[in-house]
Amino acid sequence: MMNSPNFPILSVITYLPLLGILVICLINSKRHDLIRWVAFLTAAVTFLVSLPLYFRFDAGTWEMQFVENIPWISQYGISYHMGVDGISLLLVLLTTFLSALAILSTWSAVDKGVKGYMISLLFLETGMVGVFCALDFVLFYVFWEVMLIPMYFIIGIWGGPRRIYAAVKFFIYTMSGSVLMLVAILVLFFTHYHATGIMTFDILTYHRFGLPANMQFWLFLAFFLAFAIKVPMFPFHTWLPDAHVEAPTAGSVILAGVLLKMGTYGFLRFGLPIFPQASVDFIPVILILSVIGIIYGAMVSLVQDDIKKLVAYSSVSHLGYCMLGMFALNLEGVKGSILQMINHGLSTGALFMIVGMLYERRHTRLISEYGGVMKVMPVFATLFLLVAFSSMGVPGLNGFIGELLILIGAFKASLGYGLLATIGLVLGAVYLLWMYKRVMYGRITKEENKNLRDMTGREYAYLVPIIVFIVWIGVYPKPFLDKMDVSVQHLLEVMGQQRTVMLDVPEHSELRATHAMNNYEQYAADQGR
Amino acid sequence: MSWLFKDPVLLAAVLCTWLPFLSMAVILIFTRHKPQLSSYISIGAVSTSLICALYLLIKLVHVGEPVEYRTAWLIADDIIIPFGYLFDPLSLLMLLIVAVISFLVQVYSLGYMAGDPGFSRYYAFQSLFAWAMMDMVIAPGMLQLYIFWELVGLASYLLIGFYYEKWSAGQAGKKAFVMTRLGDIGFFLGLILLVLGFGDLGIVAMNEAAQAQAIPSYLITASALLIFCGVIGKSAQFPLLTWLPDAMEGPTPVSALLHSATMVAAGVYMFSRIFPFFAASPTAMAIALAIGTITMLLSSTMAMATYDIKQVWAYSTVSQLGFMVMGLAAGGYFAGVFHLTTHAGFKALLFLCSGVFIHEYHSNDMRDIGKGGGRSLKIPMVCMTVGALALSGVFPFSGFFSKEAIMGVLAAYPNKIWLLAGLLGALMTAYYSFRLIFMILFPKKVDATMPHDAVHYHQEKDDKIQIDHEEAAAGHGAAHGHGSSHGHEEGHGNVFWYMAWPLIILTTITLVLGFFQHSLEGFLLGHAADAHGGEGGHGAGHYALLIAAVSMGLAGIAWAYYEFGRKGASQEGFLARLPKTQALFANRWYIDRFLRRFLDRAIYGGLTNVFTRNDRRVIDGGIDGFCLFTIGSGRLFSFLQSGMLQYNLLVMVAAVGLVVLYFVV
Repeated sequence: MMNSPNFPILSVITYLPLLGILVICLINSKRHDLIRWVAFLTAAVTFLVSLPLYFRFDAGTWEMQFVENIPWISQYGISYHMGVDGISLLLVLLTTFLSALAILSTWSAVDKGVKGYMISLLFLETGMVGVFCALDFVLFYVFWEVMLIPMYFIIGIWGGPRRIYAAVKFFIYTMSGSVLMLVAILVLFFTHYHATGIMTFDILTYHRFGLPANMQFWLFLAFFLAFAIKVPMFPFHTWLPDAHVEAPTAGSVILAGVLLKMGTYGFLRFGLPIFPQASVDFIPVILILSVIGIIYGAMVSLVQDDIKKLVAYSSVSHLGYCMLGMFALNLEGVKGSILQMINHGLSTGALFMIVGMLYERRHTRLISEYGGVMKVMPVFATLFLLVAFSSMGVPGLNGFIGELLILIGAFKASLGYGLLATIGLVLGAVYLLWMYKRVMYGRITKEENKNLRDMTGREYAYLVPIIVFIVWIGVYPKPFLDKMDVSVQHLLEVMGQQRTVMLDVPEHSELRATHAMNNYEQYAADQGR
Repeated sequence: MSWLFKDPVLLAAVLCTWLPFLSMAVILIFTRHKPQLSSYISIGAVSTSLICALYLLIKLVHVGEPVEYRTAWLIADDIIIPFGYLFDPLSLLMLLIVAVISFLVQVYSLGYMAGDPGFSRYYAFQSLFAWAMMDMVIAPGMLQLYIFWELVGLASYLLIGFYYEKWSAGQAGKKAFVMTRLGDIGFFLGLILLVLGFGDLGIVAMNEAAQAQAIPSYLITASALLIFCGVIGKSAQFPLLTWLPDAMEGPTPVSALLHSATMVAAGVYMFSRIFPFFAASPTAMAIALAIGTITMLLSSTMAMATYDIKQVWAYSTVSQLGFMVMGLAAGGYFAGVFHLTTHAGFKALLFLCSGVFIHEYHSNDMRDIGKGGGRSLKIPMVCMTVGALALSGVFPFSGFFSKEAIMGVLAAYPNKIWLLAGLLGALMTAYYSFRLIFMILFPKKVDATMPHDAVHYHQEKDDKIQIDHEEAAAGHGAAHGHGSSHGHEEGHGNVFWYMAWPLIILTTITLVLGFFQHSLEGFLLGHAADAHGGEGGHGAGHYALLIAAVSMGLAGIAWAYYEFGRKGASQEGFLARLPKTQALFANRWYIDRFLRRFLDRAIYGGLTNVFTRNDRRVIDGGIDGFCLFTIGSGRLFSFLQSGMLQYNLLVMVAAVGLVVLYFVV
């Protein structure tokens, strides 16, 4: 059944978690273990169902695949349009993969309101997969907002002591961005309607829609704010450390692993193809902010006394690399950027899980409360070190490949930004090794640390799969990069046509803009008549 | 796999470079809890590597052209990193050095590490190092070299921090990794520059293009200088030299293998690997020469002021690496590589001998070892003296020949100041080496009081010694059957001989290697050597130079004898009378303090502080303030519309009053 071309695999992946929620709703809320198992199995099955996406995905075309396109509210041109291409494929898989592991990672740590917690996590998964698959603006926006609510609850109910502050901050930040995005979507919709007389929210249509330059600027700005908050780019990043620190482990894993990627994905899906000229105009701004983010995030990480906060700030630095590579606007850069999104999801996700393991044992995240843990937890120490090395980009592990591609891309685009970005490589080693040394090396000074247990079976179960991928991507990234190749090339070709016109022959750009403007006025006139 | 077996050279190469990796994986995954088995697996792997390296050398010794095997590491279809093997005299020689010393050190460790709770882990890391280092040595392209270069740094980090319970060990490991990485950033940038400007990172291609002047000279200079940053980091050149002495926190065999003989020589190796490329840029060569000289002189002075035997050899390693860089930068390709070769032998020897003393007396302090009766350990004492003689450049030990070769190159250099620096370095080297030897050999009866300036170090050392004791005690507790008790002659058995044999072999190498100078020269330089009769130093002044250099070495020894060796010598050294200078030397010319202050002030105190505060106050504060403002104004308006008539009236009155006031005034 699943091999038939009409099988709606994307919808199945998206809504399977809802089925799980339904089952959980029927279970007595006191039966915690049963609820946990149902949730985990649902997520695991969802991951297994999503695997055929990878194997059946045709890497030879940039067209959307596994497409489902059903009219939804047809008088406004809203349709239920789902599909994946090389850009979103890996992100969907990352989402289903991390969701299953995240449920495992807070198995026993959350013991109050397990039912609500698991429902929130599964609901979140639906939202996240939906965002990556949606090809209709309204559908996209619905999923985008759907995702916010469970995350708000996860932080606000099952979080740490300052959870309310963190949750509200997270919500307000993201909401203000998405409201701007909604306005921009509507403007886009009406512009298109006036220009062509067709009402549509179909995203792919807008990829081919040449917008006038000044309009591109303002709309891009709105989208930019929405996504930059989500990424988060400097200076919109301060919700991130709070949200991460207060969220329970699974929340942090999902937040870092998937939610942050929505921002970068948004740039790839909307920013670049719909507003090519504005994207090019914004390059300096974005590159500067990325480089600031890389250095700033790393520098602030250096002085954190809370492990989780350190990892959270390191995300700012890593996502800076993603943005840098993307806006280098060349093949290496963009591919590196997408791969780095996956890498960051794996490495930082794993780091948060590791912090969670320590927290479950000692109920503190302060670096000063640890020391000498290597003695009592040798296997944990080895895996921790491996993940730390992956995060700082040591060759042989996934981080290196992503950073290498991004830096090659960045240097091709601009020497200066590339130079600045390499500083982050040293700083990354400094803060991670500093933290590792404080936590793992030395003698055990605290009595409580003397009897810590090494890894348990459940902990192996969720950390080892991630490490397998960390090593796999580090040694043989080809299977992952190949899938995105054609899609990225196509994206750049679309962009490239714009760019050559814009950059090489300045007169033409004006010509082109006025041309588009004339078209638009003509259309408007046609409409008026 | 049939392609593998068709070509015995390729098979040997693959076995040689990948068996250690396999051994690491097997140890980490399967035999963690079986220390003896782990060590046998690791030694088995490295001895096979040694045999393969020897086979390769014999097989390829007469091959004129470099033999290259290339395959591609596919990152994606369009991004390919060439991987493979490049066999030319240089890489074959270095491969053999790495294999020999790795093998000897691993055998030696059977004794030194016996009973250590982390025995398996130790051998896993040793295998990791052997794998990374060998793959780095035979790299045909700079990117492969860079990747394994980083992995070698990783192995070094793990091995320095091996005694993880020691605070200073973790600190030293981190410092080593970060400092070398700082240099590696330059290296990486250099490579990127070269990729963008030239497009090929193949070593042969780079060298040929540079010789044929196919690369613009500014590009060569810029990228050569950047790549040289990698050498500065890895080979602990000025100003990134302070990590290496700290790296002595690792077990002594590790110091012998990584931090003297092979890993730190990787920088020098890389320099000689792309020597023609460097040579195409006189500017880069001049800067390298200056940096090498500064490093050599500075670290020699540091070695004169410390009482920790491992520290002495560590500083000496830094200074000899500087000396190699000088030789290479002055144009002496063979001289530099030759000194690298001999140095690997005698410096590993010196460290391993020191290891025997440390293992026996549980102290790194040369005075303690002397008082404890260090001279009674005959084999290590003799071997160490041989090593020290080689280090001082005394005939007929190997160091004499290679130092002579570098001096010859320096003498041929137009500016003689470098030669003078070299001679000064030779004097100091002999002085500090024999200061150590005489202090152990002729211990002073009365306790020498510690100079106050070295208190800082003393403190650290005391901690270390204490920990060493405890760890050793724990180790001995676990070592059943070995009976390596503290008594001198009883029950040494295997442990002693595991440690003694490598010393004897290395001593032999030190004794005979020098006489192979000409065959090595012919091998490394190929036909060029026959035509020119070798490089440098064969002019009329050769004998004068020879006499000058040797007499410098002998003068250093005599000086050390006068101060430390003869009967009734004060054993304080001239530095004790110059407290300021001693403090300067003992504190490493304050390089560390400077770097520390810089970090504290500029990074931790400055930027990170500002950034963190900016995060909390400006960005968050701004947002929070904005929210408060919103909430406050909301309250205000809701207050106005509370529906209570009195307030509405009051507001109206106030408004009217204001309006009236406006009109009246």
